[in-house]
Amino acid sequence: MRAQDFNLEGLTKRIPGTGDFISIDIDKCNGCERCIIICMKALWKKKGSKIYLVDDYQTKCLECAACYQVCDANAIKFQYPVGGTGIVIEQG
Amino acid sequence: MKEYDIVIVGGGPGGSTAAKEAAEKGLKTIFFERGRKPGEKNSSGCGLGPRIWREFDIMKELTPDKCPSIREGKAARNYFVNKNDIVAGYVMTRPTESVTYEPAKSWITMNIYRSEFDPWIAKFATDAGAELKTSTLIVDLLKEDGKVIGVVDEKGEKYKGFVIGADGVISMVARQSGLRKKWAHDQVTMCPQYDFSAPPEKIDDIMGDEALAVWWTSTCPASYQVFFHDGFHQGLGNWLSWWDASPLYYLNRIINLKYYQRLLRILEAKPRELQGHLLPWISYPYNTHTENVILIGDAGGFSCPLEAEGIYPAMVTGRIAVEVAADAITAGDTSRTALDIFDEKWKKTSVGEDFEDGEELSKIWQALPFSPQETMSWFVPMFMEAIGGIYDWSQPHSKRIRQIAGHIKMYFPKALPFIMKYVFPLVAKIFENELDKMMDPKQLMAVLPKLLQMLPQKKKKRGEK
Ligand SMILES: Cc1cc2nc3c(=O)[nH]c(=O)nc-3n(C[C@H](O)[C@H](O)[C@H](O)COP(=O)(O)OP(=O)(O)OC[C@H]3O[C@@H](n4cnc5c(N)ncnc54)[C@H](O)[C@@H]3O)c2cc1C
Ligand code: SF4
Ligand code: SF4
Repeated sequence: MRAQDFNLEGLTKRIPGTGDFISIDIDKCNGCERCIIICMKALWKKKGSKIYLVDDYQTKCLECAACYQVCDANAIKFQYPVGGTGIVIEQG
Repeated sequence: MKEYDIVIVGGGPGGSTAAKEAAEKGLKTIFFERGRKPGEKNSSGCGLGPRIWREFDIMKELTPDKCPSIREGKAARNYFVNKNDIVAGYVMTRPTESVTYEPAKSWITMNIYRSEFDPWIAKFATDAGAELKTSTLIVDLLKEDGKVIGVVDEKGEKYKGFVIGADGVISMVARQSGLRKKWAHDQVTMCPQYDFSAPPEKIDDIMGDEALAVWWTSTCPASYQVFFHDGFHQGLGNWLSWWDASPLYYLNRIINLKYYQRLLRILEAKPRELQGHLLPWISYPYNTHTENVILIGDAGGFSCPLEAEGIYPAMVTGRIAVEVAADAITAGDTSRTALDIFDEKWKKTSVGEDFEDGEELSKIWQALPFSPQETMSWFVPMFMEAIGGIYDWSQPHSKRIRQIAGHIKMYFPKALPFIMKYVFPLVAKIFENELDKMMDPKQLMAVLPKLLQMLPQKKKKRGEK
């Protein structure tokens, strides 16, 4: 089975109820696009010159915090989701 | 506000070790985990190193009946993949004759899922009397006159006590205590990882006791494969400063290697989970403590500078942090200077010894398996020429050896600067030599011509006068 045929969404279990836990401060963003490159789930996008996080990120995010770490402009705010919610790694 | 002697943020191997040691000393201890149970937010390779068995008695109790995912990594396979995505060769290794103690003589790593290991180790802490609060995110530090005196959870509940930051790579404790805002791009790696399921008997039959593999490739960062009882991980990593495309793009390239596809097929492997995790990888830990606060494990950047083994260092620093905190509490002085002894103590351990050569070790690793295009693209063919060129019936053998030697010489312009820049400094450091002496042109000239003379030359024919 080739990697492009994996059903990625079926490969992560999660408990809903995270609330918002990532946000972007557009005024601080310098458009470097590092968040777009580093996000394994491609949850960061660009429209025109504006960088944004997809609306349904709460149900797709891996909570890796790579976007937050990579943003030198400190435009990305990140806090782990509410305790007991979010991804559940069963074979980590 | 609830009062404790020791408040630990994080229920990973570091936090649990600290909690166990603190409770055993009779200290009133609480540790927090944001997951519903320890381990459910964590992803590692995950191989445990034998130094843990040497230094932590509890490891004798880690058996398959308690943690069924265990598989001993008795042997490791190293695949070398060239720039055309072909497996050019592989080398299998197991613990060598110079290894000095058990269980290191028997296996390289003990492989186990974190979802089993983390709760197992946390139970020693709760059995010893530490309180574990799960499903609880710690969001801030409690401060008084600018000084940290405890922590605050997401519901606003306050817990007072000496704070141990065992909260991993994205450490709230490090940030809020002012010890570290964020890692720099060259201090932290991003690791995408798949877990595959596979029937245990297939793994036994096909892999035998080769329960580890590293795929050294010329197009992707080195990728590791770790086998468990009924499945395996395939992952890779590189510093944040490196990526030019999604980490998943590179991992998928490994999965799509023809050789790998065959392996998936015969192992009857199926993708089971996708994980992404950061891992700090620095040359030397710094800013490890401040008044009333100590950082341990990933929060302090303690994973091994060469291969980023991080569980053992988390456990060692967890144990030492508690020793230091207990003494400081008894003495009534938990100031930053009083806690400097934490650094003195970890530096004297096996973890500290690794960091003695941290700069050189992490540099060579960065320059070799993590620089696929720049280095592995010539390293793989050069290495394979050396070990693989011999088994070849295309020419008389002496002619083949001359061909091989001539071809390897072709890589010298790339290999020699690499050796001068990365290998010599490391060798000098390890053997406590002065680099200047090793690089002394006079000494080099004394050996180099001799080495060149040793290259095969045309010899007289047998029977010729
Ligand atoms: C892909 C990968 C492969 C690896 N492979 C290996 C390997 O094979 N062998 C090895 O020895 N090491 C390996 N490592 C490194 C190892 O995983 C870490 O070094 C180790 O887990 C560090 O332990 P820790 O206790 O310091 O932190 P963690 O294990 O990260 O534990 C921190 C805990 O704190 C919790 N937490 C975090 N923030 C909060 C908060 N604010 N409130 C409450 N809880 C919180 C987390 O949920 C987590 O359970 C690997 C790492 C990665 C990413
Ligand atoms: S990494 Fe930060 S600065 Fe760069 S594009 Fe993303 S949000 Fe903007
Ligand atoms: S935390 Fe990881 S998965 Fe989630 S948006 Fe950021 S980079 Fe993407």
